[in-house]
Amino acid sequence: MPKLTIDGHEVEVAAGTNLIEAARAAGVAIPYFCYHPYLTVVGQCRICMVEIAGQPRLALGCSTPAADGMVVKVETSERAREAREAVMEFLLANHPLDCPVCDQAGECLLQDHSMREQGSEFATHMTETRRTFPGYERRLIGPHVVQNQNRCIHCSRCIRFTREISGTAALTYKSRGNSTFIDTFDGSAFDDPMSACAADVCPVGALTVREFRFRKRSWKLLSTPSVCPGCSIGCNIFIDHHERVVYRFTPRENPAINATWLCDHGRFLAEPLNEQAYLDPQHRTGGQTIRVGWGEALAGIAAELKDASGLRVVASANLSNEELFLARELFGRHLKGEIAVPVAPGEPRKMRNGKGEWLHATDPHANSAGARRLGLDLVDGEGLSRFLYGGAGLTLLLDPGAHPFLASPEALQLLRVGTTVVWARREHPAAHAATWLLPTPSLAGNEGTFTSSAGAVQRFAQAFAAPGTVHRTATGAMSPSCPTIAVPWGPPGEARPLWLTLTALARELGVPPLDLASPADVFALMARKDKAFAGLAWETLGGLQQHESFRERQHVG
Amino acid sequence: MSTRPIVAASPEALQIVTFDATMEARIAELLPRYPTRRAAILPLLWLCQERFGWISPGVVRAVAARLGESPAFVEGVVSFYTMYQTAPPARYVLQVCTTLSCAWCGGRELVAHLKERLGISFGEKTPDGVFQLVGVQCLGACGEAPVIQINDDYYENLDIAKLDAILDELAGRS
Amino acid sequence: MEPVLLRARGVSDSRSIATYLAAGGYEGWKKALGMGPDAVTKEVLDSELRGRGGAGFPTGRKWSFVPKDHPGPRYLVCNADESEPGTFKDREIIEYDPHQVVEGVAIASFAIKANTAYIYIRGEFVRWARILEDAIAEARQRGFVGKNVMGSGFDLDVWVHRGAGAYICGEETALLESIEGKRGFPRLKPPFPAVVGVFGQPTVINNVETLACVPHIIVRGAAWFASIGRPKNTGPKLFCVSGHVNRPGVFELPLGVTFREIIEEHAGGVRGGRQLKAFFPGGSSAPILTAAEVDTMADFDACAAAGTMLGSGGIIVFDDTVDMVDVADNVAHFYAHESCGQCTPCREGSDWCMDILDRIVAGHGRPADPDTLLRICRFSSAGMTICPLGDAFALPISSIVNKYRSEFERRIASATPLPQKKQPVLPWAGPCPGFGI
Repeated sequence: MPKLTIDGHEVEVAAGTNLIEAARAAGVAIPYFCYHPYLTVVGQCRICMVEIAGQPRLALGCSTPAADGMVVKVETSERAREAREAVMEFLLANHPLDCPVCDQAGECLLQDHSMREQGSEFATHMTETRRTFPGYERRLIGPHVVQNQNRCIHCSRCIRFTREISGTAALTYKSRGNSTFIDTFDGSAFDDPMSACAADVCPVGALTVREFRFRKRSWKLLSTPSVCPGCSIGCNIFIDHHERVVYRFTPRENPAINATWLCDHGRFLAEPLNEQAYLDPQHRTGGQTIRVGWGEALAGIAAELKDASGLRVVASANLSNEELFLARELFGRHLKGEIAVPVAPGEPRKMRNGKGEWLHATDPHANSAGARRLGLDLVDGEGLSRFLYGGAGLTLLLDPGAHPFLASPEALQLLRVGTTVVWARREHPAAHAATWLLPTPSLAGNEGTFTSSAGAVQRFAQAFAAPGTVHRTATGAMSPSCPTIAVPWGPPGEARPLWLTLTALARELGVPPLDLASPADVFALMARKDKAFAGLAWETLGGLQQHESFRERQHVG
Repeated sequence: MSTRPIVAASPEALQIVTFDATMEARIAELLPRYPTRRAAILPLLWLCQERFGWISPGVVRAVAARLGESPAFVEGVVSFYTMYQTAPPARYVLQVCTTLSCAWCGGRELVAHLKERLGISFGEKTPDGVFQLVGVQCLGACGEAPVIQINDDYYENLDIAKLDAILDELAGRS
Repeated sequence: MEPVLLRARGVSDSRSIATYLAAGGYEGWKKALGMGPDAVTKEVLDSELRGRGGAGFPTGRKWSFVPKDHPGPRYLVCNADESEPGTFKDREIIEYDPHQVVEGVAIASFAIKANTAYIYIRGEFVRWARILEDAIAEARQRGFVGKNVMGSGFDLDVWVHRGAGAYICGEETALLESIEGKRGFPRLKPPFPAVVGVFGQPTVINNVETLACVPHIIVRGAAWFASIGRPKNTGPKLFCVSGHVNRPGVFELPLGVTFREIIEEHAGGVRGGRQLKAFFPGGSSAPILTAAEVDTMADFDACAAAGTMLGSGGIIVFDDTVDMVDVADNVAHFYAHESCGQCTPCREGSDWCMDILDRIVAGHGRPADPDTLLRICRFSSAGMTICPLGDAFALPISSIVNKYRSEFERRIASATPLPQKKQPVLPWAGPCPGFGI
């Protein structure tokens, strides 16, 4: 393992490690634009120049492997600093002064590196008219990506992404020299299931996401680590939000699952998280809908549960492990009810991990594996309709979105039989069958774990959390959610996560072991009681403790 | 010298491009020369340009499909090299060298004369579609400056009189 | 000196293989097959032949970099891209003696055990590509190219591969990218082509003139070749002279004659009775030399010592009517047009230099301009870029600024400010709704 010195810090790294990564290990930041740990090295931007003792010419950090005994100077080399300052000058020479109107501001590598690499006395020598690309300043190149070619620094990350990762090779350079620009074939639509990743990897605002355009300044966003709910692959994400509005998902690095990528399908499930049709518990009786408080709702439902002549529970493969576990324990074991978890096949999805291997899924649910491992019954649409035909006294519908069948008139008829309790967030026909309707928050207002199809148990944290909870801001700073802002931070309205309702019901029904204060506590119980979770600990799940903001923000926008 | 005029297929004709037996025979000759199909891109583009006169998006699609590349990749290659025509060219493309020796040995005067005689500037075609004027970089014939390449042929040691005679002949043939 | 590379110039029907054979052609190829690859490489190494494409790297040494135990194919590539301004010697060789090139390609391929050779020729050279294809076909017909050449057990295919208009494809790694069917982007080095070249296999790239020397070295011996010129600067060289001379053309002379001799004796001196002002000694990528430096010896080491480079040996002569600022502008246009656009300093710097020089030429120069040009050039050379195209514009432009600074300052002193583009005054369309103004 080569041992080398970088700016006086000694570090030992694996053979073949490039100097950028070796420096990172030594706590030294070498700037880069075109380098990306999951794309091929091209050495085009020239900003990562460092001095290696004994070599007359400066070296590139991205393409130089660490060698034993190497002495590298990054900040401590006048020559390297001058060179990087000049490269920044070249990059900014034709770059438009768009910061005030550019989405990338606050998470822009050009901003970040120019602040570091150009001294406070530095003034550009560039006084010519900048080269521009008329007609390419605000160009929607695909359903999700907006191009501003004037801002492009020609790092080729977007092109390499489509060639090496998504495999569509849909983006290319055209022309050459300083008139080089990025485009699709014949100006056709950017057809790529991971198209927004091109905007992620773009270090500047040349490629940005249409859905996010002009909606929020990046430094206002809080980034909460979570897991994508779009399919069973379980890509790691950040939920970027501000004042209880979810603005976007961005990928969170996980080499085993999604590297630094996120597919368009999963990514654009962010906006629907903002729909909250139901804000208060409702009791529907005698043709009337009455808004009630939680105390009354829980008492009423607990009474139904005690008296029920038959209990069946339609759970969901979109629920967290904690919620499924509580449902199984409370409704299954304790109350002897029947539980079914409906699953339906979905569109084929795929993702590339850090090794370049493709992961595939046709399972559109976030947690079927979790349901399966908890020993719950997975049923298809037919099985679900048979399950509902039984005509039990009390039906609990934990998630109307669990299966498309639940939106059908047939399902509605079946659910109208007996008493039905529905937990819901978005408008859904099944809500009309509810005797009791309880509002739940979205993924952003919940916390828990999902189990991916590969068996990884991963935590998602609560974005809309109580004041005092510490979040990471989109720009990498650690910031406690401000206690002075008047806007409440918890889930919207009276929406409460399902696990909270289930533990409260456990309390009402006198089942102390399930009267738990947090999903963490539920997990601890699961780990003790269930083989599937044996040996796992809440604190160490899902890499949430990683906070290498500089590394991550260099790869994602 | 009898320079062959370019016969450019129309944009409509080049929307959907298929390779006929003659083309396929040439392609069959080309492919075994290289261990990858991709390496046949430049030679195949030349074949297409000789055959059709220019490289339309339809040609790009056909080449890409034939060699297993994305159309964007092939279009990126086409746009890098100055000699692939991406619009129907005129019958005679006048590629005037503008670099050093040619420029300082009468080349600039030839350019001024051409602009005046033809009434067009660099990048433009005469309305009758006979001549197109292109400014190019060093043609590698500096000892015979000034030099103009017309289609495939080098015309060297030019002056205005000689150039006018050449253009008269080519225009007469049209 | 008696012509070697250009001995066929003036001979009737010189391109045909019959003529070539009658003059002793392909004897080198036969002899090389008998010597074996290592002996051939040693002969070329001993001759001290240096690359004639511009870099002047010792050819035998380049051949020896190919790994001996590489299990896969190797490739020989002949660089006939000839796009360096002022250079027109390779087409001269091909025009009169294409078989010399084919024979050189064959011997070099044999030396590095390459069974496939590509001759990459610039797209504009349509005629010379056809000449080479005809020569290769003739050679194949006679068994000098093809399977089991002359019963030696060595197979050789030679293919002509046309470029399509890109000076950068004369850079060896960009050339390889172009053969592979991509945009001509130079590669990072290391790895070097001799280890990882075209299609990922060991590849040697040699210039046309370099390869044309090889049959002569094999037939007449390294010692003969090294007797021309001086140590480490051996052999005959084709010098191209163009610009303001009476007899522009290609002259075959020993390395080391002075530029004065080449320009005055062989090219007939400056035309029109005018005075020499300046000249490029080795294409436009070389720092310019003034008239006072015309006694510099035209070889690799002497030019390097004089702060310039022999490069391709393309000599461009300027008389005293020439404004050096215009020359710098023309040079900047060339490199800005030819920059591949990959790396920041060259892509931005070449364009920036062109813009500054255009502005000075148009009469709107500013006092800071010469120093800005020097700064741009400084940070576009000496390792700042992926390939030497950065140096190729930085060195000549900065040499012109340094040696002819007074011309720049004179232009700038009489300059006027850039005319301001008149912006239309937008008419006020009434109060903006919703903003209360």
